Amino acid sequence: MTYDLLADVRVLEIGNGISAPYCGKLLADMGARVTKIEPPATGDSSRGYGPFLNDNPHQERSGLFLYINSNKKGLTLDLATPTGKGILEDLVVRSDAVVHNLHPREMDRVGLTYEALGLINPGLVMASITPFGLTGPYKYYKAYDINLAAAGGICQGLGSAGRPPLTFGTAQVGYFAGMAAASSVLMALLARDTSGTDGQHIDISEVETMSGVYNGPEALMAVYEWRVTRRTGHHSMDFPYPNCILRCKDGYIFAGSPEGRQWRKLLELMGNPEWSKDPRFTNRTVMNNDYADEIDGYMEEWLLRHTKAELLELAMEHRIPLGPVRGFDEVRNDPSLEGWFEEIEREHTGPMSFPGPPYTLADATAYSASPAPHLGQHNEEIYTGELGFTREQLVALYQTGII
Amino acid sequence: MQEQPQNRGPLAGYRVLDFGWVLAGAIPGMVLADMGAEVIKVETRQRLDYMRQGRPIIGTERDPEQHPMFHNVNRGKLSVTLNTNHQEAVELAKRLAAHCDVVLENFSPGVMDRLGLGYQDLKAIKEDIVMVSISSHGQTGPLRDLRAYAPSIGAMAGLDSTLGYEGERPLGLKHAYADISGALHAVFATVSALHQRRRTGRGQYVDLSMLRATVATMGAGLMEYEATGRVLGPMGNYDPTMAPYGNYPCQGEDRWVSIAVANDEEWRGLAQAMGSPNWTTEDRFASRYQRQRYRQELDDELSEWTSQRDAWEITELLQSHGVAAIPVMDAEERLHDRHNQERGLYHEIEHPSLGVEPIFNLMWHLEKTPPAIRGHAPTLGQHNQRVFGGLLGLAEDEIKRLEDAQVLW
Repeated sequence: MTYDLLADVRVLEIGNGISAPYCGKLLADMGARVTKIEPPATGDSSRGYGPFLNDNPHQERSGLFLYINSNKKGLTLDLATPTGKGILEDLVVRSDAVVHNLHPREMDRVGLTYEALGLINPGLVMASITPFGLTGPYKYYKAYDINLAAAGGICQGLGSAGRPPLTFGTAQVGYFAGMAAASSVLMALLARDTSGTDGQHIDISEVETMSGVYNGPEALMAVYEWRVTRRTGHHSMDFPYPNCILRCKDGYIFAGSPEGRQWRKLLELMGNPEWSKDPRFTNRTVMNNDYADEIDGYMEEWLLRHTKAELLELAMEHRIPLGPVRGFDEVRNDPSLEGWFEEIEREHTGPMSFPGPPYTLADATAYSASPAPHLGQHNEEIYTGELGFTREQLVALYQTGII
Repeated sequence: MQEQPQNRGPLAGYRVLDFGWVLAGAIPGMVLADMGAEVIKVETRQRLDYMRQGRPIIGTERDPEQHPMFHNVNRGKLSVTLNTNHQEAVELAKRLAAHCDVVLENFSPGVMDRLGLGYQDLKAIKEDIVMVSISSHGQTGPLRDLRAYAPSIGAMAGLDSTLGYEGERPLGLKHAYADISGALHAVFATVSALHQRRRTGRGQYVDLSMLRATVATMGAGLMEYEATGRVLGPMGNYDPTMAPYGNYPCQGEDRWVSIAVANDEEWRGLAQAMGSPNWTTEDRFASRYQRQRYRQELDDELSEWTSQRDAWEITELLQSHGVAAIPVMDAEERLHDRHNQERGLYHEIEHPSLGVEPIFNLMWHLEKTPPAIRGHAPTLGQHNQRVFGGLLGLAEDEIKRLEDAQVLW
C-alpha cells in the first residue's frame, strides 16, 4: 500500500542493509519518489542475506531485500569512480533529499560530503546514518546490530544471570535509525519550505536511536535506583507481578496486569485460589521481585489448562492484557491483519506478501505497492530517459563497471 | 554536558494539542516539542497519567511530580488540566483545537468520538487539522478493544518468539519496544501529513496500530516464514551471515564485550589483534562457511581469550584492526561514556521538585535546526493561566471559577 502524501518529494537512497533502506521505504510508502543506488554487480548486501524463497538463494529472491525496498526505483552506480560521482551529482540536482548509510570511512573514501553536494543543490537535505555518528571518539568504530544493541543498552538486561547477555532475535536497530532519519528529513524539508532557507545535513547515529529515545530514561532511573534493568531471565525487576511470559497449553503467553482491577479479575478467573491469600503476597512488586518463580508455578497450573486462543478470548472479555507469544506463522495468519499484508507479484518470485504501512489514512489516495527493483532495473529509464545519456553511453557505462 | 543550542527548531510555529499519555502517547509530543512545536499536554487529576504515578523519590507521599520517566518523555511541553467529565471542559478542548495544527491521542478506540472530539468533530472546527490516533490494534477490527500494553503487543507481534537462548523458552524483551516503535512511526505519519497540508491545504487523520508498527520491523523473521514456511524460535545471539557474533565474557564482574565479524578481512583483523593464536589457523575456522558451521567452538575459543582481558581494552584493540567490538553497557556507563558526553546524549535539566536531572536528548542532529530540550517536564496544570488566559483570552476570575468547579482539574 502506498499513499500520496509526499508526492512532490524526490529522494536518493544510497542504502545498504536495513537503516537507510527502511528510511527510503517509509518515504516511498508515503508517496515520495525514492531512487535507490546500489553498487554494480553485488547490489545491497541484504540481497545476499535472505531468507530466500523456497531456500533457493539468488540476489532477486531475498525476503529481507524484497520487503524493505518495495516502491522504489533502482539504479546501479559505482560512487568511488569520478564518472560515477559526476552522475551522482546530476541525480542530486534533481533531488530534495539524500539518505545514506555509508560508514564514515567509506564516506571519506568515496568523498561524499554535504558541503560538496550542498554547493550543487543548496536546497538539499542529506541524512547520514552511521553507527556512532559523525563526531566523537567512536566516530570510526565499526558496529553491527549486536554491537549497537550492546552499546545502546539493549543487551545488558536481556538473558539470565551468569550467562551471556542476549540481543534482539533478528536485527532491529536499523529500523529505528530509519525512522529517525525519515522524520528528520521531512522536518528539515518543512523548515526549508516554510522559511525559504537552504537545506541541511542530518547526523543520525544508530546507537543513539537506542541509547537516546529508546531507553534514554534508564539513566535517571538508575540515578534514583528507581528501576534497575538486570538479567533476570523471563522476569523484569520492579514491576507488579505478573509482567512475564509463562507457559500455557499450546505455547507461551505474556501475562500482565498493571492495574489492580486486572489482577483481581485474573485471580477470579483462576477461582481465587488459596495461594493468592498467602500473607507474603500482598504487595505485587514484592511478589515479583522475591517470589516470582514460586508464583509462576501456581499461575502455570491454571494457564497450562488453557490455549492461547482461549486466553485471548478471556483477555478480550475481561479487559486484561494477556498476549499470546506468537510465532511469525501466527502473526502472518492473524485474521485481524488480513488485508494488511499485501501481495506483490514479481519476476523471480511470483506473488509474495509483505506488511503494509502501520497506519491507515482517512484523507489520502492509496495505491497498490510496486515490487522492489531488480538490480539496475531503472538504469535505462533514468540514465537515458532523464539524465540524457545516449544508449551507446549507457552501454559503455555498463561495460566499464560504472553502472 | 552541553548547553542546549538556542534555535527555534524545524517545527517552530506549529502548535500541538496533546492528549497522549503513558509512554506511546507521550513520545510523539515530546519529539515535536524538541523540534520546536508548542505542545500543549492535556491531562486531568480525574485520571492521572500513569507516568505521574508510582513511588515518590523524596518522602513517602504520592506526588505526581516525581516520576523519572515522566520527566524524560514530557519535557518541553505545556501542561493544562481539563476534566472532560464536564461538558465545559470538552468545549474548551475544542476551542484549543481551533488554534492547533495537530491533535495527538492514544485513548482506547472510541473515547475521543464519545467525547465529541473525534476527527469529524475537530475537522468541523478546524478544517485542515491533522489528527493522530495511536492504539494497540487500530481503531477498527476484531482486536480494537483488547487491553494491551507494550509487552503484550510485543508478544503478539512475534518480537518475543525469537528472543532467548537457543532452543530454550522465549524470554521477552524488557523494554517498551511496541510503545516506541508505535510512537516513532506516528511521528513520521504526522510530519508526512504536515507536508501534504502545506502542499494541498488538506488535513489528515492517522490511525496508527502499535501491533502493525511492531510487525513492520520484524523484517527477516517475518520473511523467514513467508519465504520458507519455517517459524523461527529463540536462537541466542545469532546472525546467519556472521560468526563470531555474540557477547563475550571479560575481566571483572558481569563485564561483556560484543564482537561481530562479517567477512574474511575482519576475521584476519581479529586473528591478528589476538596475536594470531594457533586455533585461528585451523581448517574449521578457515572460511565464513566453516566459521558459521563451527560457531559454538569458535565462541568457546574466543571467550577464552576475551575472559582474560578488559572490555574496553579489547574494544580499542579490535577496532584498531577493523573489527566491530564494543562493551555491553549499562545505564550508568552510557551516562558517563566519553563519546556520549561529547555528543551530548544527556542534558542536565532542573526540575522544580527534584532538582538537576540528566534527561536524554533526542539526538536527531539536524545541523541547522537541531532538536533541543525546551524546558523541564511541566507540573500538573502549570500552564493553565498561560494557555487559557493567553491563548483563549479567558479572564483570571473565569479561570478561577473553572478551577473551583473542577473543570480545569
